[in-house]
Formats: sequence, structure tokens, C-alpha cells
Amino acid sequence: MPERKVIVESEVGLHARPAALFVQTAAKAFIEVTVAKGAGEPVNAKSILSVLALDVRQGEAIVIRAEGEGADALLDELAAIAAAS
Amino acid sequence: MFKDSPVRTGARASTIMTAVLAPVEGAVVALSVAPDPVFAAGMVGPGSAIDPARRPGRAVSPITGRIIKLHPHAYVVVGDDGRGVLVHLGINTVQLRGEGFELLASEGDRVAAGQPVVAWDPAVIEATGRSPVCLVVALDALADSVTDLVRGPVLAGDELFRWG
Repeated sequence: MPERKVIVESEVGLHARPAALFVQTAAKAFIEVTVAKGAGEPVNAKSILSVLALDVRQGEAIVIRAEGEGADALLDELAAIAAAS
Repeated sequence: MFKDSPVRTGARASTIMTAVLAPVEGAVVALSVAPDPVFAAGMVGPGSAIDPARRPGRAVSPITGRIIKLHPHAYVVVGDDGRGVLVHLGINTVQLRGEGFELLASEGDRVAAGQPVVAWDPAVIEATGRSPVCLVVALDALADSVTDLVRGPVLAGDELFRWG
């Protein structure tokens, strides 16, 4: 399955604002998208509750996975949001 | 006390309806005027904003449930039905690294609606040059599922909106 490993660079981690942008972008896709913290359990990347509960801090790694039409473009977009400082 | 309370019938008794309480005392304003573009656009979810009274207070849980995330400046409580409500105390307050906040509960705790979670002083937050506005957001909620939004003065623990 296509995936991207990204270090979250935002000062606030993957929280309120970066998390909202991330989830809104994932939610626009028709395919399933998951995000995991490091080697942890993947959660639904389209759920703001799930993403906030992951509690990703600045400097931590996440793995974003998606499969299907447009997966690579979507993963690139999500990776760019997660990596933005 | 401050508002006209419409008489509620039992018409909604059969549907799932979560009453979300005001975490802090203050004046309720629309989320759309919150001084944060992402929250104001409803991107985190639908909800409300409270311009808090500038005196020391205790921010309470908006619903009954478990505190799944607790930061000094923000917390998420998830009810038994799986619905999560985010309370964010002030804008850009993560930068304060807990300064001005005191935790009154622990992550993982079960809390009743109205139970104190964080002690803070909005005047102290404001003195750092940040907005102390309190954002209350229904997570993963459809915009039109949030109704009966109260406007104007509230006390901590007053009903703020309904999530149907």
C-alpha cells in the first residue's frame, strides 16, 4: 500500500490547525486514508477526533497510508501539510 | 437567567441529543468571529466561542465522558456514544507551555458534565498578547447537527448548544 513517512514540523504538532487542514484534505478523498504515529495503530485520517487523539507532537514521525485512485497525489498533499512548519 | 429559554417538548426525546455545556463564564459569540481563521471557518468542526470573563475561573467539562486528551490549554472529552468535544482555551496558547493554566483532572479521567478540568485566568492569557477566547467544537460533526446555539452571557456549566 502506498505510504509516506513524515516528521511533523509544526510547533503545535498535529493539533488544532494543522490537524484540521490535514483531516479536511483527507476527507475530500473518496478512498480510505489512515495515519499512524510511528509504528502505532493506524487511525482514520478523515476523523479530527482520531487525529487529535493520536497526539502527534513536533518532531514525531507519522505514517500516512492510502490505496486506490489518486492515492499518491493525496499522500503527497497530506505529507506536505504534516511536514509544514 | 440571561436568555429566553424556549419551552422544550418531548419531541426530541427519542433522538440522540447531546447537550454541550459552556466550559467557562463569559459572553457567547459565533465561532465564525473567533480570531483564528481555521476555527472560524468551522474546519475543526461546528461549535461556539466564548469571550471569557477576565477573572480566575475553572474550565469545566462540556459533556459527561472520558478526557481522552488533556493539555493545559486544550482538552477533548469523549462521551459514551463516541462523540468528542474539543475545548480550546485561548488562541495560540500552546505557546505558553502551560503557563497560566493548572490541571484539575488527569488524562483518562471520567468526568461529569460541568466538572472542573483546568483552572486558568483569562486576564493572564490576555496580558501575554493572546486572545483568551474559549472555543468549543463538536468533532467530526456535520455543521447542521449543532443547534440551539445560545448567544450572550453564560456561566460555566450553562447549556451552550445541542448536538443532534
